[in-house]
Amino acid sequence: MGNVIKKLSIGLVVGGALFGIAKWQEFPFVFQMVFFAQAMLGAAVFMLLDAPAVKTMSGGKSAIAIVMFYIVLCTVFVAGASMWPQFDPEEEKGKIVKILERERKASEQGKAEELIARAKALDEQVKALEVRLRELGAGHVVTKEPVTDAPPPVTSKGAGDFMKAGEEQWQLHECFNCHKLKGEGGKKRGPELDNIGSYLTVDEIKQKILDPKSFMAEGFEKEWEKGRMPDKFREVMDDNEVTALASWLNSFKNTSVNTPKPIKKK
Amino acid sequence: MKTWQRSLVGVCAFLMVLGAAAYAQASGAPPVEFPYTGNRTAVWIVAQLHTLFGAFVLGAPIFVVVSEWLGYRKQDLRYDRLAKELTKVTVILFSMTALTGGLFIFVLLAAYPQFTTWFINQFYLVFTVIYPLLFISGSIVLYAYLYTWDVWKGEKKGRHIALGVLLNLICMTTMFVINGPTSFMNTPPKTEGLSPQDFLEAASLWDKIANVSWIPLSLHRIDGNLAFGGFVTGLIAAYMYMRAKSQEERSYYDWMGFVGNLIGVGAMLFQPFTGLLYAYQMCDYDFSFCPYMMADQLSMFFEMQGAMVGLMFLAGNYYVWLSLKRIEGVEKVRMTILAPIVMVAFPFAMMVVMNYYWIPDPMSLAFLLPLVLLPLLGRFIPFTVSARTVIKIGFLMVIIGDAIWLIPHGFAPTSAKMVAEVEMPEAWNFLSSMPAKLSAIFTLVFATVVNYALYNRAIKQGTIMWGEIDFASQFALISLAFTSIWMMGLMGAVRSLVRKYFHTYSVIPDFSAESFTPTLSYSAWWITGISVVFFTVVSFAVFVALRSSDSKRQVPEGSPVPARAK
Repeated sequence: MGNVIKKLSIGLVVGGALFGIAKWQEFPFVFQMVFFAQAMLGAAVFMLLDAPAVKTMSGGKSAIAIVMFYIVLCTVFVAGASMWPQFDPEEEKGKIVKILERERKASEQGKAEELIARAKALDEQVKALEVRLRELGAGHVVTKEPVTDAPPPVTSKGAGDFMKAGEEQWQLHECFNCHKLKGEGGKKRGPELDNIGSYLTVDEIKQKILDPKSFMAEGFEKEWEKGRMPDKFREVMDDNEVTALASWLNSFKNTSVNTPKPIKKK
Repeated sequence: MKTWQRSLVGVCAFLMVLGAAAYAQASGAPPVEFPYTGNRTAVWIVAQLHTLFGAFVLGAPIFVVVSEWLGYRKQDLRYDRLAKELTKVTVILFSMTALTGGLFIFVLLAAYPQFTTWFINQFYLVFTVIYPLLFISGSIVLYAYLYTWDVWKGEKKGRHIALGVLLNLICMTTMFVINGPTSFMNTPPKTEGLSPQDFLEAASLWDKIANVSWIPLSLHRIDGNLAFGGFVTGLIAAYMYMRAKSQEERSYYDWMGFVGNLIGVGAMLFQPFTGLLYAYQMCDYDFSFCPYMMADQLSMFFEMQGAMVGLMFLAGNYYVWLSLKRIEGVEKVRMTILAPIVMVAFPFAMMVVMNYYWIPDPMSLAFLLPLVLLPLLGRFIPFTVSARTVIKIGFLMVIIGDAIWLIPHGFAPTSAKMVAEVEMPEAWNFLSSMPAKLSAIFTLVFATVVNYALYNRAIKQGTIMWGEIDFASQFALISLAFTSIWMMGLMGAVRSLVRKYFHTYSVIPDFSAESFTPTLSYSAWWITGISVVFFTVVSFAVFVALRSSDSKRQVPEGSPVPARAK
């Protein structure tokens, strides 16, 4: 018991000190807790090291001990994994549908789904017509709008919508994972892009997206040589999407930000 | 289970694979909807089970044959008995590998018919000729290896060991062959200026197999399978130790646990490095894998990995600690004071050096290599510390090393645009950098190597009282096996999920509603469930395979008690 109290006290003191230092250094609360937990883990390990020997078991007792041990392990692992912050799949689901929309339509599955969707829409229309006919037969006054096969009016996208589409592409393809823009994202994997519009035209930005080797940012020689920027965008984006993204990026002309100068390579 | 029953299982599995390959020629079948689990999780369950059984049957023969050779060389019957008992368990699990493999192809075909058809056609020769041939020859050699054990002994032992080597060659080839399609799904071959689809149309089978992550994955798996085989041997030893009725049996299974743990921990030391090599290769192929794994959706999976690695290193060292307690004369074993000093200084020195001279700059080696080798100068310095003190310092450094491993840039796994409330202060950002992670890995490995070196010295200087080990050590062995299996499941999930919304990255999109990244919690439930099923089957296999050998045993084998390990 003395061993437990001694180690627990040391663990609490070390954990408290780590917690205090982390707080003083303005670490977020979650970090403070992690440091404290690590100190307590250390205390538990040292308690175990000096614990008295466990007597040999056999037969039913050892079988029960094994089962109990597995239950503890399973509980610790599932609970441990559930305690970390969880990624929200809902955030990704919508993105995936949008990214794969074009390929889905082009695929056999997509064509089949489209046919099913059209058949369902026609079925709905037939049902609506049946209802109308029944109503007419009963001498009711028709109050509903007539069902027409005419497509909904197509409105042209305004410049604002186009820019919005460009920003959406930025979000969908998670360009912020490597490029800092408007003070968000980045982590220095790729150049900061707030002033990219001052260096490259829309067509040049498009060229860079579709062929990452076409331009190299100054100071990113290693990244360029290793081909850090993925070359998959010509597969997953159509021309309109790339144009929208390039146009949106071209609108960033913040000269106060030190965007590295792009050097033409191709 | 009798031989003919096991053969029947194997034949059924073989026919299932061939049937699936034939079915793949007739495309157009609609996908089946698996109730409760959904299609993706249904595939996940059978694929994971197949991988676990496969890992054991491919890993265990490596040290089965080494153990047999050691037994022959040292004329120590314990090694031979260990090898034979493991082979018996391997034979049962080989049937399970075949069964789950056949089931895997069928579930895949039912859940994703279009993709599976395309995939089988990409590797038609592999799935219809090469893999079945390897599988059949592997089965034949495995059975021959087991059934010639008592026939080819004495002068003929060399012949039997040669058969074991042949078995290993077949197993290794099988693993390399099947790693081709597996790695292809993550990194299909591509070339600059051509779309992956266009490149694939002209690519040969070899181009597809020899993709960029094929060798790194294979290396990681060879090492992982060996570690896994070692830990499962430890698990078998723990089970048998717990049900042993005589002191002689306890001595033998104590020794078996010692050997299994030694192999498992030895192979585990290389795991972080082969894993890093694999991750580097993946990121080199497409850099977007890197933030997806480390900074975004899967970042907390790596937090969990860090916690599991820490647990495994703690358990491995705890086993050493308990083992030392049953060595007579251990109190006289001492080590140079330089060893714990280097152990403590190492992570911090490495972090500083690596920040200035990053790999592959040879200057980093120029600083770090002398530091690592410094304890060798200990013989010229009179100051020494006891084995217990060194190991306790080792434990402290494992905890500190793991804490460094666990420190992320921030705690928000959703979107890399982290907010200040979960992000580390700028001044401390170095703790989440790659030099810090590398120093953490080296610290865990270095502390463990020092502990095992000390253990080895204690074994040489003292006397091991086999069968007298603290009973808690058996739980350390069980937890090592369970944790290693759980982590294989976790990292297997990461390897699959890294393809994002593609069945084959950037070539075949996954249009199903389940192509999103699942949460860590959801994944943990399934990984735990799969591990429990695997453990139940392995426990049953051990019970069936080794109980019968107990009853047949007439001549006592193994060394007397207590045995000197020298």
